[in-house]
Amino acid sequence: MRSCSFVGSRLAVHHVRRSLRWFIYLLASLVGVVAFVYPFFPRIEADAGPVVQAMDSPLFLGLLGGLSLLALLLETQDGVEASGVSGETKRIALLGVLVGLNAVLSFVETAIPGPGGFSPIFFLIILGGYVYGGRFGYLLGALTLFVSALITGGVGPWLPYRMLIAGWIGLAAPLMARINRALRVQGTRWELVVLAVYGGVWGLAFGALMNLWFWPFATGPAEQHWQIGISVWEGVQRFLAFYVATSLLWDLARVAGTAAMMLLFGAPTLRTLRRFARRFYFEVRQCASSLSQGELSA
Amino acid sequence: MHPLAWLVWLGASAVATLAMRNPLYLLLLFAVIYVVTDVIRGAESGRGGATTASTDAVTEPMMLPVSPIRFALFAMGVGALINGLISHFGETELLRLPEVIPLLGGPITAEAVVYGAINGMVLATLFATFAVLNVAVPTRDLIGYLPRAFYPVAVVSAIAITFVPNTLYQLRQVREAQAIRGHRMRGLRDWLPLFLPVLIGGLERALQLAEAMTARGFAAKGAAAPAAHTADIARFASIGGLAAVLVGGVLRLVPGAGRWSPVLVVGGTLLVAWAIWRSGRQVNITRYRRARWTMGDGVMVVGALLALVPLFLWPATRDYSPYPRLLWPSFDTRVGLALLGFLAPALVLHLARPPAQGERQ
Amino acid sequence: MTDVIAFDHVAFRYPEAESRHGSVSPWAIADVTLTIPAGAMVLVVGPSGAGKSTLLRCINGLVPHFTGGTFVGRLEVMGLDPIAAGPETMCRHVGFVFQDPEAQFVMDRVEDEIAFALENAAMPPPEMHARVEEVLARLDLVSLRHRPLVTLSGGEKQRVAIAAALALRPRILVLDEPTSQLDPQAAEELLGFLARLGETSGLTLVLAEHRLERVLDFADLLVYVSGGAAPVIFGDPASVLSQVDLAPPVARVGKALGWSPLPVTLAQGARFAVDAMAGRKVDDALLRRDRGDEGADQQAAARPPILEAAALQVAYGDVPVLRGVTLSLYAGEVTVLMGRNGAGKSTLLKSLIGLVRPQQGHVWLVGRDTAGVAVADICREVAYLPQDPNALLFADTVREELNITLRNHSLEPSQVPVAPDALLAELGLADKREAYPRDLSVGERQRVALAAITVTHPKVILLDEPTRGLDYAAKAGLIELIRRWRAAGLALLLVTHDVELAADVADRVLLMVEGRIVADGSPWDVMGHSDLLAPQIARLFPDAGWLTAEEAAAALMNAGDGTT
Repeated sequence: MRSCSFVGSRLAVHHVRRSLRWFIYLLASLVGVVAFVYPFFPRIEADAGPVVQAMDSPLFLGLLGGLSLLALLLETQDGVEASGVSGETKRIALLGVLVGLNAVLSFVETAIPGPGGFSPIFFLIILGGYVYGGRFGYLLGALTLFVSALITGGVGPWLPYRMLIAGWIGLAAPLMARINRALRVQGTRWELVVLAVYGGVWGLAFGALMNLWFWPFATGPAEQHWQIGISVWEGVQRFLAFYVATSLLWDLARVAGTAAMMLLFGAPTLRTLRRFARRFYFEVRQCASSLSQGELSA
Repeated sequence: MHPLAWLVWLGASAVATLAMRNPLYLLLLFAVIYVVTDVIRGAESGRGGATTASTDAVTEPMMLPVSPIRFALFAMGVGALINGLISHFGETELLRLPEVIPLLGGPITAEAVVYGAINGMVLATLFATFAVLNVAVPTRDLIGYLPRAFYPVAVVSAIAITFVPNTLYQLRQVREAQAIRGHRMRGLRDWLPLFLPVLIGGLERALQLAEAMTARGFAAKGAAAPAAHTADIARFASIGGLAAVLVGGVLRLVPGAGRWSPVLVVGGTLLVAWAIWRSGRQVNITRYRRARWTMGDGVMVVGALLALVPLFLWPATRDYSPYPRLLWPSFDTRVGLALLGFLAPALVLHLARPPAQGERQ
Repeated sequence: MTDVIAFDHVAFRYPEAESRHGSVSPWAIADVTLTIPAGAMVLVVGPSGAGKSTLLRCINGLVPHFTGGTFVGRLEVMGLDPIAAGPETMCRHVGFVFQDPEAQFVMDRVEDEIAFALENAAMPPPEMHARVEEVLARLDLVSLRHRPLVTLSGGEKQRVAIAAALALRPRILVLDEPTSQLDPQAAEELLGFLARLGETSGLTLVLAEHRLERVLDFADLLVYVSGGAAPVIFGDPASVLSQVDLAPPVARVGKALGWSPLPVTLAQGARFAVDAMAGRKVDDALLRRDRGDEGADQQAAARPPILEAAALQVAYGDVPVLRGVTLSLYAGEVTVLMGRNGAGKSTLLKSLIGLVRPQQGHVWLVGRDTAGVAVADICREVAYLPQDPNALLFADTVREELNITLRNHSLEPSQVPVAPDALLAELGLADKREAYPRDLSVGERQRVALAAITVTHPKVILLDEPTRGLDYAAKAGLIELIRRWRAAGLALLLVTHDVELAADVADRVLLMVEGRIVADGSPWDVMGHSDLLAPQIARLFPDAGWLTAEEAAAALMNAGDGTT
């Protein structure tokens, strides 16, 4: 009588592969960051030829943003080695359902208007990344914005950038897990406070980065600036003034809203997500010797 | 109309928009795009039962997309306002704010206002282009045309869209169920009994769905077993490509090294594209729905690409700056006529109006 | 006839059970040995939690590849070993259909869903199209092919699920309680469809079902799984049912009266019934259903109604749903409301509790008009169990669910007539006080929901389709509860399709058609001769006045004659 027991999945993910993965995250994110801040930096050679000059247009920034997004999506969606076929299917199904739920949340919010830029979607993105890992968080963030745009007919030129930022929020969430473990606050109220602060920082950053995206449109091609002679620092100052004047209030509403959600709803949501985490993770395979009749009826 | 054809059209239009600063050209392009949007909307309603991104019959349109014209007015207004207030260059002074006010103090010039309006126009034209995509291509088709390398992303998006009506229904059920145990909506905290059961229900449903998918033999990479080392080759290519792009971008800022930038950027982009293609090859699936390329699609693509040619061939009139003094922009008829090439889809749709339009799946 | 499925001393244990100790056996299935020949229609029955689902999932490898755990023994399906092959390979030989039509679909159109498995199998497009056409035709879905899945009925959705499973051309189709979420008519249709499918296509069908009455007509073989370490009983329906307690009404009567060979369907029982009734005079007095003393019944009619509705008219937009409904509920009386889907039964319940406000008409609760009273206040006196009790439950423990309701009403546990812990004990949940409600079985979850809505000691209880998804044991528990509430003087209104349940508990039956109440009377009057509503016993013994097996058996045994 042959018998075999399944006790776990192939957890031995090669360490090299793991570091490769994080290197890609870093590089791709850097490219994305460059896409946002590039307009501030002076290009000295104003007459370096049309091809080089083409790099100053928003097209180039679009390319950078797009590359960053695609590279991150490509890397985060690939998890078969880590979880096995069955585990990956569970992740895909779980992601699908949570993205759907988050997308519904995002337009429930427009039906019941909250103040300013309050958006309930960041709550789940942060907690999803926190409990289920950076890969999961990234996809939850990016795809929530993607699906929500598809459903509401709001696919616009800003979509890849919003996806990028929302993804970062989920990707970096496990860092908070590490911090919380170091601070030993897991299971206490302070865990939520840390997450609320995280959400607050990103709430501001989201607004700031999206304004950064809009900034080149508002101010025009970069070389015109430097013909007029504005330095990097002055450019940043102008941007900050613009930001404070236009969307700071909006973003503060987002910060407050996300923090409130975290503090009010975070505990039961975390408990629920952790409870289900057990069912989604797979056990490692191991062959035991055959069982006796006595063991069977025990 | 084939979605990829629309994507090419959209890409060309975006390139044209971002390459121009001449307000006359921008206005022309905007008008062209608006006409195309109108024709598509007419064609869709004529056919009835359209399932495009903005009029999805399955999900209630909670948020209707903003009309391109309204957005254009908004964007131009905002741009004019911001730039007018912040930028104080130019010769035609409209009014003068006291210099003591930081940043805003100084002359408000017509040039700055016009400059801001032009920037707003660029954004508005870009927005209008994407609005076409929303009306023209059905949501589901968009997901189906994601590259093979992004198959898991496509499946997740498909599941999410499928679950939206279900989630809405669950929300209603939960709201009623909580009401009959005395729940009242008084404050923010009272959202929890609505949110949590929907979340739990969703998680349980996800598990059931995963089971159903596994029972039908679903594997994230399709029918073949994943080969780990080929995934690594793609990874290295990604890393190399991204690094090249990064270095290329940074070099542009370094005096003297600028000429290496385009090479690095283009090379890096190609490397990343190759990595994507390579990952795609590992995904062993086939597609059920494949729209066929028709002549109309070809016309559209050709029209869009041809429209770009004069813009780069005769770039003299492309850029326009109101500084230092506001002058009427110059207009090259050749470029203007070429921009009309973007009208191709409107033409094709108009000609293809009779009911036997069944090439499209 | 070759055997396509062969279990040989198979046992399985879920991963969570590894560390479980105590009297409950950790084995989900233990020592299962059975064989299934090709082309057979096999029915797997047994109480909830006994291991039916686990057994079925072994066939295509979901257990243990999807669930993890320890698997012992040998299993052969179509010549393959599911443990070694896994679901990715087994899916080509075994198709699987699950219980909940809502949670099986990835895509949102019929055609795309069917093609999904084929896309994932990297089938060439021309072949894909051919297969999809073939399956659409076979399952009678051609007219529905472009429809979004949300617009389909439950029965149609299950057909699509079957189609999606059959797209890969398996030789075995396994279905895990496919009709439990459907109403009886849709269930009948689906089962008939499956029977025809089995006959015409030569598929081997393995079906797990709760409700035997629906399926015994079609089954070739019966597998009874009783759970734990008890062995699995396997054989033809009559012989298996004679060994177990679980049986449809006709078999229960047959067993009590010693009919042999034991009839399991109406057709088989008919000749026994005719013989048993021969020579019996139909006594008018017998037609009166004895539910307690008749004096009390007359007294009840004289008492004022606790909940009353008059001339209710409700419309959703332009569509009228209730067209002038009048009814009264009295203390200590169980009223059952029956009718087809879409007749307005749920809407009526919702307007009684204030979730839906009528355009015209009134609802009085103990004499007070409920117009303008908030739902949160009405529900203190009127408890409503929704169709899906899961929508209620979200707390960490069962006890907490009760606390939540109390807090909603701003009540302290000391302020309610029955202490919450005592209530839990009454409902049989005393040992589950600290359990996570969503982890419990369907029957237990329903009782937690009932506890949560009855903690305020209401006078009226409204139940909407309470037997959906319950097995016989849980149903018996529910009937017991209903009887206890009745004895305590509560007014109960049940909406159900389950005629057997109505036969067991109803004092009064209301029939609703298209928003109007067309019949209101004693159970026998309304259901006894009805084509749609008559329970199995009433069909077996027409005009005898019995609705349940127990009544028929008691009456026939007392009479002492007419047995064969």
